[in-house]
Amino acid sequence: MISIDCPREPEALEAACAGTWPDRCDEDLRAHVATCAICGEVVEVARALREDHDGSWRAASVPASGVVWWRAQMRARAEAARAAAKPITFVQGVAAACVVGGAIALAGAAFPWIRAWVASLPAVFPALDAAAADVPALVSLPRWLPLAAIVAVLLAPVAIYLAVTDD
Amino acid sequence: MMRDLTLSDVEQLQAQAGELDEAFQMDEDTFRAFYDRTARALWLYLSRLTGSAPLADDLLQESYYRFLRAARTYESEAHRRNSLFRIATNVARDNRRRVRAAPSVSLDNEEAQPGLRTDPHAADRAARRTDLARAMAHLKPRERAMLWLAYAHGSSHREIAETLGLTAGSVKLLLFRARRKLAGLLGGAALRTRRAGRVGL
Ligand SMILES: [Zn+2]
Repeated sequence: MISIDCPREPEALEAACAGTWPDRCDEDLRAHVATCAICGEVVEVARALREDHDGSWRAASVPASGVVWWRAQMRARAEAARAAAKPITFVQGVAAACVVGGAIALAGAAFPWIRAWVASLPAVFPALDAAAADVPALVSLPRWLPLAAIVAVLLAPVAIYLAVTDD
Repeated sequence: MMRDLTLSDVEQLQAQAGELDEAFQMDEDTFRAFYDRTARALWLYLSRLTGSAPLADDLLQESYYRFLRAARTYESEAHRRNSLFRIATNVARDNRRRVRAAPSVSLDNEEAQPGLRTDPHAADRAARRTDLARAMAHLKPRERAMLWLAYAHGSSHREIAETLGLTAGSVKLLLFRARRKLAGLLGGAALRTRRAGRVGL
């Protein structure tokens, strides 16, 4: 079984991180690291990462704390406003769908040519007509009324989707 | 068109500011002090984890934002710091999932290289750091994170486990494997650098 640690590993790591490796650490540790695969890897990896860390530390440029705080506040404010506006947009979307459906219903009542066009729909959508004929309550209603209801039902999810998506 | 603020506007703005303070887990002064203590270390961690300095800039802001919004209490400064690094690890992971691109390891040295001509050791250091960046690019993100935390940041195994969401017991073995992998890559890179140096001479 391969050993994954060595009792002298902390000592080797300390020498690598403190920068005392190899010249300013004791001969005994150098001799051990030369023969121990684990400590050899620890020294090699720790020195490389430590050197990279120390060399980059001063050059690392981060924004000022005030800027980060301010951006976070702006974002929180925008998110709060968006969250508050969501229910309103949702209601507006549903209302818009109802208005469109209602407008079609009224137009059907007011203009005979729309009724005539709707009456010709069974030829285009036989399945729709057959379905309507199966429901006795629908048969007694004017033809354009179910159509208006269908349009409203189809538009509502689109309106809801537009209302609740962020983008 | 501009209009003067009324008393109710001011009250509304104050109420909004109060709500925002409640939305954040700390006040501005506490945050700024904590940020000053942690930002550089976190930026370096993110830049080595992602291999990209510009990406680290973006993820730094996101990490502190999520940290501020996290409704948590901390037992100690170390616990708070570890939580921040854990959030940053998750932010980097989320970004990776979104982008699904290979890490674009920045080989440009942030040291801006002005000392290369005057300091004879600067060129060696720069070459070693380039070798390290290339080798790190061959590791998995979790291996990069683990090695950086252990050897550059000086975190204990328990802290690494907390930051990366691992069990403390598994860190030892995973760290051993990651270290072995990086040592192998660095050994090969050093050999290539030496050969290139000889060819250059
Ligand atoms: Zn050893």
